[in-house]
Amino acid sequence: MSESVKIIEKKEVSPGAVMLFGFPDVGLVGVIAASHMISELGLTEVAYLDSKLLPPLIVLHEGLPHSPIRIFGNHSILLAVSETAISADVIYPVMHALIDWGKSKNVKVMISMSGIPVQNRQDLEQLKVFAAASTPEMLKAVQDKGIAVLKEGYMVGPQAIMLQYCAKMGLPAITLLAQCFFNYPDPQAAAEILKELANVTGIKVDISKLLEKGEEIRLRARDVMRRTQQELSKMKKTQEYDIPLYVS
Amino acid sequence: MSVRKRRRSIFDIIDEYFENLEEWAEKFRETIIEKPSWDRRASTMEPLRDVMVTPDEVIVTVDLPYAEENTIQVKPLDKNTLEIKARMKRKVRFDDFGITHYDGEFQTFYCHTHIPVPVYMDKMEVRFKKGILEVHLPRKHEYEIPVE
Repeated sequence: MSESVKIIEKKEVSPGAVMLFGFPDVGLVGVIAASHMISELGLTEVAYLDSKLLPPLIVLHEGLPHSPIRIFGNHSILLAVSETAISADVIYPVMHALIDWGKSKNVKVMISMSGIPVQNRQDLEQLKVFAAASTPEMLKAVQDKGIAVLKEGYMVGPQAIMLQYCAKMGLPAITLLAQCFFNYPDPQAAAEILKELANVTGIKVDISKLLEKGEEIRLRARDVMRRTQQELSKMKKTQEYDIPLYVS
Repeated sequence: MSVRKRRRSIFDIIDEYFENLEEWAEKFRETIIEKPSWDRRASTMEPLRDVMVTPDEVIVTVDLPYAEENTIQVKPLDKNTLEIKARMKRKVRFDDFGITHYDGEFQTFYCHTHIPVPVYMDKMEVRFKKGILEVHLPRKHEYEIPVE
C-alpha cells in the first residue's frame, strides 16, 4: 500500500466481499447510488482513508469528525465512498491504496458505479447502462448479463484508474456507467446503476425511495456537484466526448 | 556576448493571448465558485446552471428541483445577461439538511448568468421539463466574413 495514503480499519472485515466504489463524478451517480445503498442496506463504517495528500478537510456527523473518504460494509459488501470531490492530482494514490487494500481482503470483484454524460439527457426516458471491464473474462460476464459494452472511447476519473490498475494486477473489475447529466445530480441514473448492480452481483437494493426523493437529493447535492464540476474541468473530463484515434 | 531576441510570430502572440484568457477564465470561475450557494438575507438559493454555445443558438439550462413551473421568470438584464427566478413548492430550511449552526429558510431560486456571444434576447424560447429549465437564445451573427 502507498505510504502516503493509509486505510485505517475500524472493524473486522470479512474476506471475499464484493468491493464497490461511489466517487464524485458526472451527475454524482456513484455517490448518490452509494449513499442510498448505505441507508437501505444499513451498511456501517468499517474503515477510512487517511492521507496528507487530501485537503485539510473533515466531515462532521453528529459533531464528530470523519474522513471524507470512507469504506462502509457488511459481511458481503465493501463500499468505498467519498463525500467530497477528489482532486485530479490525488486520484492515483487514493485509488491505488483502496485497490491494494481490497486485494489484501481477497475481494471477489471490484465494481465502480458512475455515469456517462449525454447531451440529450433531458429527453431520455429510459437510461442505458454501459460497462467496461479489467479482463476479457469479466467483459464476457457482463455481456452475458445483457449489459452493453463501452467499446471505444476515453474514460476519465477514478473509475479509469481503477480499471487500469486492476487490469495491471490481473484483478477482476467492472465499471458500470449510466447515461446521465454532466453537471446536474442525477438520481434516476443512480437508480439504473443499482438495477444493473443487482443484475451483475445479486445485491438487491430497493430503489423506490431513491426515485421518490429525487428532487430532495438534487437540492441537497448542489454544493457537492459544484465542487465536482470544478475538479472535472481540471481533469479534462470532457475528453470522454472525444472520438479516439484507433491504434492497433 | 550579445543575445539576439527572437522575434515573436503572430502564432506565439495568439497562443499567449489564449493562455492568458484561459488563466483569467479559471480565476473568474474560482471567484464565482468560492461563495455560498445561498443568500440568507434574500432567502434565495443559487441553482446549478450551464451555458452551451452551438452554431445557431445559446442554450442555458438551470436545475430547479422543487420549482413551481408557473413562477419561473427569465428576464434579460442587458444584452448579455439573463436573470432567472423561480419559487419552490415548499420552504427549505438549513435543518432539513441536518445543519444546525446556521438558521434561515429559502423558497426562491435566483441567479443571473452571462451569455458569452451576441444573441437575440427578444426571440428567447423557454421550456421546463423534469425540473430543468432550458432557455434557447438564437445567435446574432454580427460579423460574417465571406470565404472566397
